Amino acid sequence: MLLVPAFSVLCGQTQNDPLVSTCLQSTGPGAKYLKDFRIQLGLGTSQDLFRYKANMSLWKNTRYRFTLCTAENSKGRLILNIQDDANNVVLSSVDGKTGTVYTYVDLICNRSGIYQIYFDFTEGQSGSGVSIVSMVQ
Amino acid sequence: MKGRVALSVLGILLAVCSCRNNPGKAGEFILVNADSIAASANPGTESVEEIYRNLSSPLEIANLFQVMGVPFSPAYLASSVDANEQTTSFQKALYLGILGADLGYLNMYEKTGTAIELVSSIKKLADGLNLGQYFDFETIKRVSLNKLNIDSLLFLSVDSYSRMDEYLRKNNRSQLSAIMVVGVWLEAQYFSTQVVRQYPNNLLRERIGEQKYFLDDLIRIISPYCEYDREFTAMCGYLSNIASRYENVKITYSKGEPSSSEKDGRLVVTQTETSMVEMTDEQLDQIIEITGIIRNKLISN
Repeated sequence: MLLVPAFSVLCGQTQNDPLVSTCLQSTGPGAKYLKDFRIQLGLGTSQDLFRYKANMSLWKNTRYRFTLCTAENSKGRLILNIQDDANNVVLSSVDGKTGTVYTYVDLICNRSGIYQIYFDFTEGQSGSGVSIVSMVQ
Repeated sequence: MKGRVALSVLGILLAVCSCRNNPGKAGEFILVNADSIAASANPGTESVEEIYRNLSSPLEIANLFQVMGVPFSPAYLASSVDANEQTTSFQKALYLGILGADLGYLNMYEKTGTAIELVSSIKKLADGLNLGQYFDFETIKRVSLNKLNIDSLLFLSVDSYSRMDEYLRKNNRSQLSAIMVVGVWLEAQYFSTQVVRQYPNNLLRERIGEQKYFLDDLIRIISPYCEYDREFTAMCGYLSNIASRYENVKITYSKGEPSSSEKDGRLVVTQTETSMVEMTDEQLDQIIEITGIIRNKLISN
């Protein structure tokens, strides 16, 4: 029997990945590529915890754009949550009041530091996705 | 049963080998060379990766120059580096980092034609470290020559460097990964200090001051190799020298709640919490001076 882990970090995509290419093209005018995160997750057991975590430095006086692209065969939509070094939520791509899930989130950063970047798919579903981080002038 | 176990092992091996979809030729073997050192001597690859992700990207520095309205200048580039003359793995890895930062600077200013020669040098250095298959030379060259989408070029360049770095770290050559990262940081720091001298600006001045924390991380990456050989020992000394100039630079924070709004279907979040750098003119001058001395010494070797 094959045991498919509920959590797995994607490691097999290249620049030829159509999702990366599509996502790169959708970041919008004036946005310049900085980094990308490639996420692949199985079905989760909890809907509250974000399962993919990475650290990233963000710099004061910079406008960052996080473009969230979800692969077609995914059950959920890729979502993002950013916390500072004291675990305070700086932003979430899901509006807790309206339930709106945003594909594009801009962060106007005024505090340089290392931030925790969390990704998951809506309702802890399985899915594949790419998040492109760009700088916007 | 044995057959199943063998198949499972083969499956795992294939999964590991195909991870990141290695662009290397099928059947190509890369010999473990003298640069490989025992895994036990390496800091955790995950922690190094975290540090690598957190270092100030030369793209962000160049972006800041553009926000400031600073014009492009070839004078900041390490044009004296000759990829054919580097003999040691240390030099190749260091220059790979330095030229990577130069490439980021050129790409951000869309000087893609000028970048071709640089890209060729990077390929030579990468080949010299058996990393050539991770640097997507042909595609980068084609995108540069045809002045195609600059975002694709930035992606290809960053992705190639990430692959080279990842390969080094996962193949017991973390000391070369560390030195490449030092090269990237040092060159970006050189750009910043040269530009701030010519175009004094508070934003850039703060960015230079904020490197204090990341310099600590950089020293943490390289410290396990300080006794590796004379070149590594010298580099540890150089970084300590720069760190000593940062000793009395202070970074403070003020609290605030983020505010959010929606614009054209995008969520826009503005942080009101801020960070501030306390750094005297004298401290900045010392940082500018020591950075220039060390960087120029390293590229003239």
